[in-house]
Amino acid sequence: MTTLQARFAPTAYGSARLLAGVTRGAYADLAMHRSLHGAQQHRTHDALVRETAAVRLLGRGGAAFPVSTKLAGLPARSSVEVVVNGSESEPASHKDRTLMTLVPHLVLDGALVVARALRTRRVTIAVHDAAAHEALKRALAERRRSEPHPESVTVRMQPAQFVAGEVRAVLSGLDGGAAVPPGRRTLPTRRGLHGAPTFASNVETFAQIALLVSLGARRYAEVGDPEEPGTSLLTLVGSGSGSGVVEVPTGLPLDALLGGSDVDSGPVLIGGYHGHWVSDVRGLRLTRPALRAAGVPLNAGVVARVPAHGCALAEVAAVARWLASQSAGQCGPCLFGTHAVARDVDALLHGRPSLEVAGRLRAMTGRGACAHPDGTAAFISSALTTMTAEVAAHAEHGGCGRPYLGVLPLVEDR
Amino acid sequence: MRIQVDWTRCDGHAMCALLLPENIASDPDGFPVITHPVVGSEAMRHARRAVAACPALALRLERD
Repeated sequence: MTTLQARFAPTAYGSARLLAGVTRGAYADLAMHRSLHGAQQHRTHDALVRETAAVRLLGRGGAAFPVSTKLAGLPARSSVEVVVNGSESEPASHKDRTLMTLVPHLVLDGALVVARALRTRRVTIAVHDAAAHEALKRALAERRRSEPHPESVTVRMQPAQFVAGEVRAVLSGLDGGAAVPPGRRTLPTRRGLHGAPTFASNVETFAQIALLVSLGARRYAEVGDPEEPGTSLLTLVGSGSGSGVVEVPTGLPLDALLGGSDVDSGPVLIGGYHGHWVSDVRGLRLTRPALRAAGVPLNAGVVARVPAHGCALAEVAAVARWLASQSAGQCGPCLFGTHAVARDVDALLHGRPSLEVAGRLRAMTGRGACAHPDGTAAFISSALTTMTAEVAAHAEHGGCGRPYLGVLPLVEDR
Repeated sequence: MRIQVDWTRCDGHAMCALLLPENIASDPDGFPVITHPVVGSEAMRHARRAVAACPALALRLERD
């Protein structure tokens, strides 16, 4: 039997909860998982709604929707579907893959808690990463041998395109259709997988639910910020020693995490490729509500910094081109808009003016079936306002003299 | 009532902008720009005509 390993060992600052026992990067089998987290527990629907509300648990995908509200809006009956969205389609993010590969039993515990509370036996896990798929399969085989459960848990491979990770695209793909977001906005809690009411959430959300049930609301909330207690997973990109997946208590000042006062620090990207660039992280605290209020939502938890000796504008241009290539091509304003703004950023990179970019970015917002045009516009417009000095240097000299480092990953190196 | 565009269906024929200029403009590619999403009772007749005229069946009126 091969040993399952994460490509890079994740780190925990403060207390490792999700990552307890696995910060060396090796898979936690069922026996180890049980010794760390105790026996599988269950809650009634009402109790789970109460506990997730007590710790203000927010979805860990991108939308940060309150889990208790989502749970309370669902009926408890056998036709309900539970979907674990493990598609993690953002190339910079690795937190969900890390969880599925190293602590799949924690994710499964959480999925089974939700299924039991909603009195259904239908659980589907959507993944596109081969290592995550293998670890989940192995974890399920271990449970069949020593801890059988009545729920049927299906693990399904999904395509890796960026917009295919959006929850409604995942549901459409699982239903046998194209893994693209549908044109009509329907909530999965009303009409989700196979048309049934569906509790769909991100991998980390389910792992957090498992922790919450194992620790109880009071102990769960002992660490982190009262606004969003507990810990959170982040993927740090590009900032040297601290790169990779980290578990941190919420409420941590971002400059403490990134070493923000350091003289040779470049601009920081918060929230990944649908996120926002900021030039200064001082005053920003790491909770989803605080960051959202500051206009820089955490989304799926990617925080990146381009080192000062690299060209940040070139990184932006490369990601902009990649984002354009990731448009599903369903919606005109997104297809044309993302390609046009990618060309605009390329022009700025080569020192040519691009007078229409601001208008084009404004015209992309709110005009698509999913958040891809909005997210792309946010990424590029915040880059251009944060990097005015870089843009000016490129306009004046046709470049800044610093190399393109390729810090922001584009396609997975699998 | 509120104007909704199914962006996955819209092909940028720009009929809606022609028939309902009070609420919808058109971008350089012909795709609609919803300038005023809420349709008042006085404009309802024109709005329904725009919905019916959309060749891609991409325009809808939904209760808000």
